[in-house]
Parts: sequence; structure tokens; C-alpha cells
Amino acid sequence: MAGKAHRLSAEERDQLLPNLRAVGWNELEGRDAIFKQFHFKDFNRAFGFMTRVALQAEKLDHHPEWFNVYNKVHITLSTHECAGLSERDINLASFIEGKSLPWKERPTSLPRRGT
Amino acid sequence: MVSKLSQLQTELLAALLESGLSKEALIQALGEPGPYLLAGDGPPDKGESCGGGGRGELAELPNGLGETRGSEDETDDEGEDFTPPILRELENLSPEEAAHQKAVVETLLQEDPWRVAKMVKSYLQQHNIPQREVVDTTGLNQSHLSQHLNKGTPMKTQKRAALYTWYVRKQREVAQQFTHAGQGGLIEEPTGDELPTKKGRRNRFKWGPASQQILFQAYERQKNPSKEEREALVEECNRAECIQRGVSPSQAQGLGSNLVTEVRVYNWFANRRKEEAFRHKLAMDTYSGPPPGPGPGPALPAHGSPGLPPPALSPGKVRGVRYGQPATSEGAEVPSSSGGPLVTVSAPLHQVSPTGLEPSHSLLSTEAKLVSATGGPLPPVSTLTALHSLEQTSPGLNQQPQNLIMASLPGVMAIGPGEPASLGPTFTNTGASTLVIALYSHKPEVAQYTHTGLLPQTMLITDTTNLSALASLTPTKQVFTSDAEASGESGLHTPASQAATIHIPSQDPAGIQHLQPTHRLSASPTVSSSSLVLYQSSDSTNGHGHLLPSNHSVIETFISTQMASSSQ
Repeated sequence: MAGKAHRLSAEERDQLLPNLRAVGWNELEGRDAIFKQFHFKDFNRAFGFMTRVALQAEKLDHHPEWFNVYNKVHITLSTHECAGLSERDINLASFIEGKSLPWKERPTSLPRRGT
Repeated sequence: MVSKLSQLQTELLAALLESGLSKEALIQALGEPGPYLLAGDGPPDKGESCGGGGRGELAELPNGLGETRGSEDETDDEGEDFTPPILRELENLSPEEAAHQKAVVETLLQEDPWRVAKMVKSYLQQHNIPQREVVDTTGLNQSHLSQHLNKGTPMKTQKRAALYTWYVRKQREVAQQFTHAGQGGLIEEPTGDELPTKKGRRNRFKWGPASQQILFQAYERQKNPSKEEREALVEECNRAECIQRGVSPSQAQGLGSNLVTEVRVYNWFANRRKEEAFRHKLAMDTYSGPPPGPGPGPALPAHGSPGLPPPALSPGKVRGVRYGQPATSEGAEVPSSSGGPLVTVSAPLHQVSPTGLEPSHSLLSTEAKLVSATGGPLPPVSTLTALHSLEQTSPGLNQQPQNLIMASLPGVMAIGPGEPASLGPTFTNTGASTLVIALYSHKPEVAQYTHTGLLPQTMLITDTTNLSALASLTPTKQVFTSDAEASGESGLHTPASQAATIHIPSQDPAGIQHLQPTHRLSASPTVSSSSLVLYQSSDSTNGHGHLLPSNHSVIETFISTQMASSSQ
């Protein structure tokens, strides 16, 4: 996805980041990146989420830095080419938000089969 | 059905399907040895059962689909068609999703109908979905639906169930539409039309408030943009619309029928120029018109007779009448003795709701009464210019006060004096301007008063101070009003107008995030306190019947269910 790897200008940040901030993405100090922690009900949901994100990351050719322990996923997004935030990060963050929707995950109330 | 798959396997399989993997490709991959399969990993019987189970599951999927469709067809008295889900179900592992959706609907039904109505309404506004689409798929009566959403008119449970079912499905449709937009083309076009073959009609394009703001600002700079400039505006508008819906700007194709194109921008500018010319003409006529009585005759019959007005007028007039503010008829009841134009008009605009349809005569009857109420001479020009200085929308018409009045109308149309909770602003410029036009064309004999009649509406502008902010804030109004009663009103007025960012939650992060933790913890004590808000909501929705604590639900839906504030 060439062409979207330029560092976001101040206006672009003002336009795009508030939405992400509103859902819990924070800018890191000392680094031009955004970060968010996700918690899921259990490992399966967490990893299912990660799988979805991973598949999309491959498609976008833009990968997150992430950490996972059991049901927690910490994701940091930054663009290497511009050493900071670019539109690719925003895109991926939006996608990630979409994939953390309840009905993308398996809510607990649904009958679990084969567990 | 999924008995042979572990939970994680189901998750991963679902993830694969959602990523666009087709059933055939998956089956083929399963059949081939080599890179795809983890041959030899795990005990052989498990591997076989995995493969067998996988295939079995896939083979069963059509049955599942069939079952789902069958069962859902029964509930399809709402009129939703289910053929699209065939494709989507591959990604959803539908039977579970169907159950999940039904559970969500059940929970919504337990919730306070007015709260849910506000949620649904704000969602409609956020995504610029015409009421017609809801009506077509649910079979509800459009007037009943409008009243229920805007005024809280009670709706029977079964009908509400249909509405909520549509709402739940629509949210997923839109979510998928946006995610698939980035994956090259749409499988279906669930937002714009159910099935092209079924209805043969896409939803009519509608300008969103964010886009209109951008366009008005551009109009101020230059009334006649070149193709390049228009294209730039297209990009900007689509970006803003995506942001309003909480979606990445690169997924603009997900806007569906509300995608801004260059042609639409071109038409918008052309219509604004025509509008301005017409208002200018009206202004000229009014100012140069003779005193009341037979005076206005010569000027206004030109407007009155159908064929004469400028071409932009007649279609605009019809449109405006249709899309015009419907509830002004309520204003007709306002006692004319209540102290002058300001008060008399405040009620009608106060009652405005966004997408209702009303015959023109209701507007006119309102105006007639209004006019008789005011019954004074033309206000001095200084008053108009005073308004001008206060007016903040500045749609770019600075030449004459009359232009100002009409110019401010588009932004004002749906805004009443400080009654945000009940407001449903429209962002239809045509509606606004043609309302004016309707006044002129149908009531020539009160021409000189219509000018005054316009003023009250403009006076309202001054009352509402931050017009553009309000206009852009409309979607969030829903959020804050139901969110925290305390912040409901103030939340509207505090955030200043900002470029293209409709997501006002960002302006009040403290408010949101303070509210959430307390609610979350109280709602679902069993779930870890730092879980995702939305995830929480679904759990609480399904498990606890506590159900969408107001701020959750509103934020959830407003931020297009994809981004909800979550504090970690």
C-alpha cells in the first residue's frame, strides 16, 4: 500500500486521532505511535481477534506490534518507513476496532459447542 | 453441529472465513497436503476429526444456512429479504450469529423504548439512512416509525422487535460493508439496496452535515470550483463522512449510496448558485416592492404561478415541501399573542424532525398564522445586518440581509432555541431554502409579511448561537442527551465547531470515561473491569438483561458500533 506511508501532519492528526482517542487509543510518549490494550473473555476470543487482525494486516501489508498474554492483547501501531504515525496506522486501527465488536467475538451467552 | 471443533478452532475458522476465504478454497486447501495443513500436528485422530469436522461443518453450513433462513423467514414478515445473508453467512457462522442477534433484540425490547429509539435514530442520522429503507424492510408504517423515533410515540412490542431486528442487522451490514470496502468491491450492497434485483432502487444520496459544512466553506471561498477543486472536495467530504461514522477514510466505498462523487459536488454548487440568484431576486423584489396590499401582486404572482419561477425553484419547491420541516404544523397552534416573531416561530422550528414528510399546506398554514401574528412592518435593515454579524454558519452569502436570512436557513432549519433533546435537525439545504420559496410562492398576499416571517427564523439563529457547531453536533446530541442528563444540554453548546470532526465524544473524554467505569462495573461484575466497552455491552446484553446502559448504548451506536470509548 505505497503512498500512504507519509507521516501524518498536524491537521490530519487533529482530524483523525480524536476518533481513535475516543475509543481508547493513546499516543505513546517518546514515540510517535498509538497504543491500546484489549481484554477479552478468554484466550480463544483473544486469539481469534488476533487472527482476524493478522489476516488483515497481511492484506494491508502493515503489521502491528503486539503482545498477547492469555486474554489480553496490547497493540502498538506505528509506521516504520516514516518513523511515526501514518494513514496506514489509522486504517489498521479502525479495522481493529471493527474486529473487536461483540458479534465478531463470541459472546459468552451463546451456547458453546464442542468446548 | 460444531461439535468436532474446539472453541479456538471455531474462532480461527471464523476468522478465516471472515477474511474473505471462500468455502471452495478452504475445502480445496483442506484436501491438499502440504503447506496448508498442519499434517502430523497433534494426534492423527484429532487431525482427521479436525479435517472431517471441518468439512463436515462446512457441509453442514448450507444446512445451517437453510435452517437459518427457514426459521428467519418466518420472522421475515418484516419483509427483510434473506438471500444476501447466504454470502454473509459464510463469514458469520450464521446460526450462532442469528441466535446472538435475536438475543440482542430481546434485550433491546426489555430496555426503555425511548432510549432505544434515540439510539436507533442517532444511528440513522449518523449513517444518513433514509427512513424509507427502514420502512421498506420492516413493514412498519412510516409515520408511526417517525413519531416513535422522534417523539416517542408508543410502538407495540412486535413492531419494535421488527425495528430492532432491522437495526441489529443493519449495523452488521454496515460494518461488513465498510470492512469489505477495503478488500476490493462489495459482495453485496447491503446498505444501499437490499438486492438490486429485488427493488431496483438504491437509496437516494443524502448530504451529511459534515460534508455540507465543508462545501459551504468551499462555497464561501469560491462559488465555481474547477474540476480539480471539486475532486479535492470529494475526497475531503468522503473522508469526513467516514470519520463521522467512525470508519477509516480509506473505506469510503462503504458509504454506499451516500458516497460523495464529483457529480454530486458539482450539482451541489450549481444548486447553491441558483439558490443564491433566486434569493437575490426575491430580495430585490421585496425591497423594491410597493406597500402591502395589491403591491406585492406584480412581483409575487410571478412566484405564485407554477411555470414562472426559475428552474431551480419549482423542483426545489416541490422537494422542499416534501423534505421541509414537517412539524411546523404544530407551530400553527402557537398562540399568536406570545410576544412577537421570536416566540411564534420558535415553536415550529422547535418541533422539527429530520425525515418526516409533510404536505406543503401545513407549512403554509403555519406561515399564515405566523404572519398574522407578527403583523408588523418590515423590520429595519439594521436588524438584518445585526443578525448577520451574529450569524455564524456563514454559508457564504454576505451580500444582502435577505440573502443572509435565507443563507442561514439551511443551517438553521432544524434548530430550535435551545431545545436540543427534542430536536432532529435536518441537513437538507433544499428543504430550508425551499421552505422560504414556498412561502413566497403560495402566499403572495402576505408577501410583505413573509419577510418578517423569515426573520423569526433568523432570529432563532442568534438564539442558537453556534449554528455550525450545532449542526455538526447533531449526531452527538443524541449521545449526550441520553448520556448524562447533566451534560445533555451543555454538551451541545460547549464543543466549538470543529473541522469535520463530528465525533464530539473526543471533546468530552472526561465525561465519557468517567461514566463508563462506574457503569461497566455495575453492569457486569463478572466480567473483568477493563474489558472492552462493547464487548461488555454484549455480555451484559445477553447475560444480564441490564442491557445497554445508556451511555454505552448511545456511544456504541453512535460511533457506528465500531469505536466505543473504553477505558483500560
